Amino acid sequence: MIGPKGVIKKIEFVRTITKALYSLGYERTGAVLEEESGIPLYSSMVNLFRKQVLEGNWDESLITLHKIGLDDENVLKSVSFLILEQKFFEILEKNKIMEALETLRSEITPLSINKKRVHEFSSCIVSPSQRILVGFADVGTETLKPRMKLLEELQKMLPSSIMVPERRLEHLIEQALGVQREACYFHNSHESCLSLYTDHQCGKDHLPSHTTQVLQEHHDEVWFLQFSNQGKYLASSSNDKSAIIWEVREDGELTLKHKLIGHKKSVLMVAWSPDDSQLLTCGMEEAVRRWDVHSGECLYVYEKTGLGLISCGWFLHGKQLFSGVTDKTICFWDLDGKELDSWKGQRTSKISDVAVTKDGRQIISMCQETVILLLDRETKIQTLIEEEQTITSFLLSEDDNFLLVNLINQEIHLWNVRNDPKLVTTYKGHKRSRFLIRSCFGGLEQAFIASGSEDSQVYIWHRSTGDLLEALPGHSGTVNCVSWNPSNPYMLASASDDHTIRIWGLSKVNGKRKDTDSNGAVHHLCNGSSK
Amino acid sequence: MGRIFTVELDGRVYRCRFCRTQLALAEDLISKSFHCRHGKAYLFNYATNISVGDEEERVLFSGMHTVADIFCCCCGQNVGWKYVAAQEKTQKYKEGKFVLERGRIADGTDLEFYIDTRPNGSDGDDS
Repeated sequence: MIGPKGVIKKIEFVRTITKALYSLGYERTGAVLEEESGIPLYSSMVNLFRKQVLEGNWDESLITLHKIGLDDENVLKSVSFLILEQKFFEILEKNKIMEALETLRSEITPLSINKKRVHEFSSCIVSPSQRILVGFADVGTETLKPRMKLLEELQKMLPSSIMVPERRLEHLIEQALGVQREACYFHNSHESCLSLYTDHQCGKDHLPSHTTQVLQEHHDEVWFLQFSNQGKYLASSSNDKSAIIWEVREDGELTLKHKLIGHKKSVLMVAWSPDDSQLLTCGMEEAVRRWDVHSGECLYVYEKTGLGLISCGWFLHGKQLFSGVTDKTICFWDLDGKELDSWKGQRTSKISDVAVTKDGRQIISMCQETVILLLDRETKIQTLIEEEQTITSFLLSEDDNFLLVNLINQEIHLWNVRNDPKLVTTYKGHKRSRFLIRSCFGGLEQAFIASGSEDSQVYIWHRSTGDLLEALPGHSGTVNCVSWNPSNPYMLASASDDHTIRIWGLSKVNGKRKDTDSNGAVHHLCNGSSK
Repeated sequence: MGRIFTVELDGRVYRCRFCRTQLALAEDLISKSFHCRHGKAYLFNYATNISVGDEEERVLFSGMHTVADIFCCCCGQNVGWKYVAAQEKTQKYKEGKFVLERGRIADGTDLEFYIDTRPNGSDGDDS
């Protein structure tokens, strides 16, 4: 036995390495290892068997096969069958019909397996054209290649203790790397970081936990923000009745691109079109405006006479939009303002969150204080997610498979809504008692959950375990909303009642990273906060 | 201050006298015979749209209790308190329930003015 835990058998260890050496093409080294260790890769019987197969000594190979030491009767028969099949076809090639027939009758048939194939062999004798249909390629003079192919097939069938499986060492190592990656708690880096020299372990320093920028253009509380789908822009909306589009520069710094003025009420939320060319903003119980991201121009204002709108979103790949209305309905429009549909399901009016899956098929909305309704528009099937506490807000994941639900009792629940809704994880620790606080998915492969909090901190949890990883201080007012850059796992943005937006990233010290993200150095490290 | 989250109740409700935020359902009313420093108070099974303050031990008319002041989540007014724990067995029924001061709530049919006639009340019991 070798290895500190005494679970590795020396013979297996050496043979696996020998096999790997041969696979890499290091014939001489492989042979030397066999000699020096005294551990042959294959037993002498197996070596003889291989030689016989490659040389076409079928009968001898069958005898050797029985001497190799196979326990399984079925394996023995299957291997014999394949060898005899090759023998049969090679004889047939030489047009020795009688001999082939003899082989078929006295050697292959008695095995009594693969009867269908045996019938196919018979038809090959009768009509030569059948051979191609059966899958036996024209051998011609080249016998080695098909024999090598046969040997490969046979090797796969023999038990692994006799024939070390191909690429076994590589497989074991990939398995170990996989385990390390799974176990990496803070995993937020790309695959190229995996090395054989040390166990992979992302430190906490791989989470965005340092304020890299404070954006102060809003004049009042910032209630909502969201990065664009490609991560090139950030849009924020505020109690100051405006929304702002920020541009994320190559170096990671955000600059103001457009201030969107027009709403006469606080702007509740924004929604990016799937191609990031347009932005929807929703004024509180007012109207929804559609803006051109490039020019900052307002392209359209959607309103409902006598009623107010409380949420907005896109679906059908940006061809249509929907909005929650104060009369408890959800309204659907096409871009030109033509009202397409109005859904009058049971809904609560104050909670504005509505989500529509990307294919436009499912509408997800609040139907009661503690119940979320998932409606399939085609089948009309209704599915309910029932919570025990009042729901304050929810968010549908990028892949439409998960729902992140914020509850009144300071808990965040993650539900899998792919089939029957199932509660997956609960996240706790942040503070909420009066306001609408939002949370989001983020990081590499959405492995983290982030949330705002009434204690002015940004909270980050490990998605699968629910463990609280970080509570980031910095803001001087309730953090209402957070958004993680979809194309940069190291950039997080938070919106607060202190009128600012904070951009979080890695610390200055950890500026160098092995991946290809463009965001590197830190800018505008601010002391304290504004206001 | 942030985007305030409020729950909407169905039915006859009692509201915060100052900002009209819904605080409790009439059907959750248990007793009208409670008292507070400022006068009458009502005991409810449940109150909503409130934030709860710190717990403290208070000696009330009916004995030692652990209570927490409750505040309207919109305007922040102290609208009453919540019973967290009661020492005496006979008072245990109050645990988890809410008291809203009559002077701080409105039920839609209220007069604008409410005169406090009791000088130093603490809480009272059901008759």
